[in-house]
Amino acid sequence: MNIGTRKILDRSFTAVGIGSIVVMAFALMIVVVPIVYNGIGAVFFTGTVEHRKMLHTEFKRGDSQDLSSAVASSNRYRAKVYDMLTSFETELETMAPEKKAEYQSKYSQVRTTLQVLLGPLPGDPEPMLTRFKYGQTRWEKAEEKLHDLLYESRWDNSNPNVMSQEYFVSRAIGFEGTSLVKLFPYVKDNLESMLLPEFTVYWGFITDSSVDSHFFGGIWPEIQGTFFLAIGAMLFAFPLGVVAAVYFTEYARPGFLNSMLRSANSTLAGVPSIVFGMFGLAFFINTMKVSESKSVIAGALTLAIMILPTIIRAAEEAILAVPKTYREASLSLGSTKWNTIATVILPAALPGILTGGVISLGRAAGETAPIIFTAAVSVGSAIGLADVFSSPTPALSWNIYNLASEHEAATQLRHVQYGMVLALVTVVLLLNLSAIVLRARISKKLKC
Amino acid sequence: MAEESVGERNRSNAFVISARKRTLQKVAKTAGEGMLFSVAFFVAVIVLFIFYFVARDAIPFFQIRGFSEFFTSTNWYPADEPGEFGALAIIYGSLMVTLGSALIAVPMGVAAAICLSDILPFSIRQYAKPVIEMLAAIPSVAFGFFALVVMAPLMQDHGGPMLMWAWWILVSPFMLLFVIVVSDLMTTNIKDEKRRQHLQRLLMIVLGLLSIFLLFKVGSVLNGIQILTGTNALNVSIILSFMALPTIVSVSEDALQAVGRDIREGSYALGATRAETIIKTILPAASSGILAAVILGIMRALGETMVVWMASGNSSHIPEPWFNYLEAIRTLTATIAGDMGEADQVTGSARFHVLFAMGLLLLIISFISNLVSERIVVRQRKILSGQ
Amino acid sequence: MLMTTDVRKTSESLPVQKATREIYLPPQRSTITGGGAAHIAAKDFSIYYGEFEAVKKVSADILSKYVTAIIGPSGCGKSTFLRAINRMNDLIPSCHTTGALLFDGDDIYGKFTDEVLLRKKIGMVFQKPNPFPKSIFDNIAYGPRLHGVNDKKKLMEIVEGSLRKAAIWDEVCDRLDKNALGLSGGQQQRLCVARTLAVEPEVLLLDEPTSALDPKATAKIEDLIQELRGSYTIMIVTHNMQQASRVSDSTMFFYEGVLVEHAPTAQLFTNPKDPMTEDYITGRFS
Repeated sequence: MNIGTRKILDRSFTAVGIGSIVVMAFALMIVVVPIVYNGIGAVFFTGTVEHRKMLHTEFKRGDSQDLSSAVASSNRYRAKVYDMLTSFETELETMAPEKKAEYQSKYSQVRTTLQVLLGPLPGDPEPMLTRFKYGQTRWEKAEEKLHDLLYESRWDNSNPNVMSQEYFVSRAIGFEGTSLVKLFPYVKDNLESMLLPEFTVYWGFITDSSVDSHFFGGIWPEIQGTFFLAIGAMLFAFPLGVVAAVYFTEYARPGFLNSMLRSANSTLAGVPSIVFGMFGLAFFINTMKVSESKSVIAGALTLAIMILPTIIRAAEEAILAVPKTYREASLSLGSTKWNTIATVILPAALPGILTGGVISLGRAAGETAPIIFTAAVSVGSAIGLADVFSSPTPALSWNIYNLASEHEAATQLRHVQYGMVLALVTVVLLLNLSAIVLRARISKKLKC
Repeated sequence: MAEESVGERNRSNAFVISARKRTLQKVAKTAGEGMLFSVAFFVAVIVLFIFYFVARDAIPFFQIRGFSEFFTSTNWYPADEPGEFGALAIIYGSLMVTLGSALIAVPMGVAAAICLSDILPFSIRQYAKPVIEMLAAIPSVAFGFFALVVMAPLMQDHGGPMLMWAWWILVSPFMLLFVIVVSDLMTTNIKDEKRRQHLQRLLMIVLGLLSIFLLFKVGSVLNGIQILTGTNALNVSIILSFMALPTIVSVSEDALQAVGRDIREGSYALGATRAETIIKTILPAASSGILAAVILGIMRALGETMVVWMASGNSSHIPEPWFNYLEAIRTLTATIAGDMGEADQVTGSARFHVLFAMGLLLLIISFISNLVSERIVVRQRKILSGQ
Repeated sequence: MLMTTDVRKTSESLPVQKATREIYLPPQRSTITGGGAAHIAAKDFSIYYGEFEAVKKVSADILSKYVTAIIGPSGCGKSTFLRAINRMNDLIPSCHTTGALLFDGDDIYGKFTDEVLLRKKIGMVFQKPNPFPKSIFDNIAYGPRLHGVNDKKKLMEIVEGSLRKAAIWDEVCDRLDKNALGLSGGQQQRLCVARTLAVEPEVLLLDEPTSALDPKATAKIEDLIQELRGSYTIMIVTHNMQQASRVSDSTMFFYEGVLVEHAPTAQLFTNPKDPMTEDYITGRFS
């Protein structure tokens, strides 16, 4: 090959390498940016008067005087809508039966969308579920619902070769010639006055418990559950892991037994996380009966087993990184081996061990599969510290799955899901970031 | 013996201690060491326990239903009465996403590892490593959420154009390289420099036009593809490859670092370019370590639960045709996670035990691949230190 | 494997001189009181790393309160021998010994030896300064605390005394609570000497204590050895023959694990008995 081609090949080889690192950074961005962007929306958003109503009734928050004046002003505009509805209902009564039947179903659709948009209409019975007690609490959702009110969605199946397409038909046309036709432009023009949107910072998203399975309220039970599980796992795994690492680095003699123990360690590191979950169910719950059924303690134990190999490996590396000279110096001063480990080696290795611990903590907090069968419930309130031995808990990781995949209104609650993902990712990435910083500081310290 | 008398002598400040004290010391030391050992041994016990408890609940399934249905049938109707437990399609789904993610992650991961260990200067490497660690740290459920909520709708709505752009962006640089290299290789034997260059240019133009034609032809075919569901094997494979990448990169980088400086210098001294040095000398020397990295990375993809559960579509059938990555599939891990809730109440039934059979299958695969990768790493270390 | 056979071949061809049992009284040091008794005695003492015999049947008396230098080319076993005296070789799993190594008449490798008590009496300073990543005070107090001194006032006394003995007190007295890693290399090494002195050893083993230091710091350490001479039995391994001749009373020359010659320093450097020694000190090999 001629030298020019070789050089081109060399350059493009470099480009491929750098490209793949760029792609990885890009992948990280692509995943993190929408999560951060939409997740922030769970706390900072344009809230409507319905949100303030909800906060006041469910959490006793906000100034009742301000609220009642706001409600009064919004009701002034809403009253006209309600009047239009009543007048259309009377108009409906006077119609010919076949015409009446045609309008009746359309009208009930309009009523339903209005209920979703503005909350219960006058004359409606008090709804059973909290989710129906309020209209749209977020302005961007209210605008979506407004679209639903103005247009009816239909599907075009005419061409069997392509996927059916969605298209929209104006509802106003359907009510041509009746009194209700005025309602649509009215709602469209006066929605702001009816809902009074204003910029809202809802820190309660982090500290409140959820209302009616996350339709309203916050994610505190999940945050607390994650915290319990991760800390619980660390309480078991950290001491065990450090002691095992001390054995491996300071006492183990090369031989069959030692290589077997090391194999066991790496096998444990490679076990799929879902298998840990099955083991937790079969062992901790069905065999050991640490609790009647799912509980925080069973989940924490399962997670502890999962993160144990990581902690052992990190602690081993940290201990091996302690210069041999420290050991020699201490021994030559007449220190026993155990004393040397306790007073010189472990303190010197501590930052490294903590780094591993912090990373494992993040992993325990983020892992879902092991807690599905052992600790997680989809709906629940925050549990007390005394209940960890008996009751399961909601946890961020599990509830993200649950809300996104199994919740009956998954697509309606994207903002809550994003908020949860952001909370989880923030916790985990902050833990990892602190580990990275910690490690950088150690290497700097060892250099000088 | 003489030692005994030495032991009995009682000097002030002596370093020689009595036999009794010596025995006590020994006992204390052994006891302490024994305690440490038992903690380390605990890990081994846990591994045994995991095997035992998963196998204990898996074996009844094979006793009830035998082996052949599980491994050969694609009829998965566990809720029926009597149920059908053909897991072939599910096993196939697992293999499919694992292979798919490996196809994406392995070339990228190895390239990134080479880049980190041999190409980038230290100052940049410092910042690149944390990026990789962050990627490894993001919880799987967050990836799953991303796949379900962001990726799937995108694929469903703009699948064709996305595939076309991916094809163009990924393939065109390699096509260009291919054209340059082939036209160079085909003209190497021509002695006359001027004629050679002339011919080479001609070849480049012809081959270039051909490849542009190919690019557009395939691109337009891809553009016409309609993806029926965004939760499909391709989506999952892409996300799983993100998750397998950090493992592959960090383990292969270790393997590359283990190849000594002298080997590199030897190759450079013979006039090789960096790419040639890496491909011809370093990669072969590090190949077994990289293989171990690939195995570990693949295992991560195979054992991953949340992403496949949320974004694979969970449909238990073998796609038509068998390599169609745009169809929904179902994997072992997702089946375990999804069905355990329903099966739990009827403990003792085949429906419960079949899930443990799947878990056992996963466990055995991960165990074997772990052993293999460990052996490979040990062997590589031996070969390298032997040199 | 290759290495081992090589060594054996050369050692066979070497005129091995059995160490003399006579007591050296170098003229310039004859006034030291208490000098003259064998503090450490090796009798056919060998050290093995697995199969490899690193130190071969050494017999020698190390005199009390004398400074004994050990010289020889790298890999000759001099450090191994030094480290064997306070059993630092125990850290290497494959290492074992034969023959006897007596300290005050008791076998260091005896069945009833407590190596921890032994190391308290035989202190060691290493090639590279190795202070703990703790404060200067804690570094010095580490040993006394291990051996049960916890009284703050007493500790302060010990720390000051040791630092004064190691001639570093004036330099560090105002920053005892600062991290010891902030000191210069030479200061760190003297701190290590002070740390060793704080446990009140009888013997001080110095394993090439100046090899990592610049000439200025080296001179300070040598001065320190002169200060300590007469109070402790000192053994120093060194690469530097000038250093050996400057600081020591008697010198041992090791070659490939064999103690070739052991004589008063002045005699060994001016009038070596063994041709190997002569070749080495005149620089014909190193």
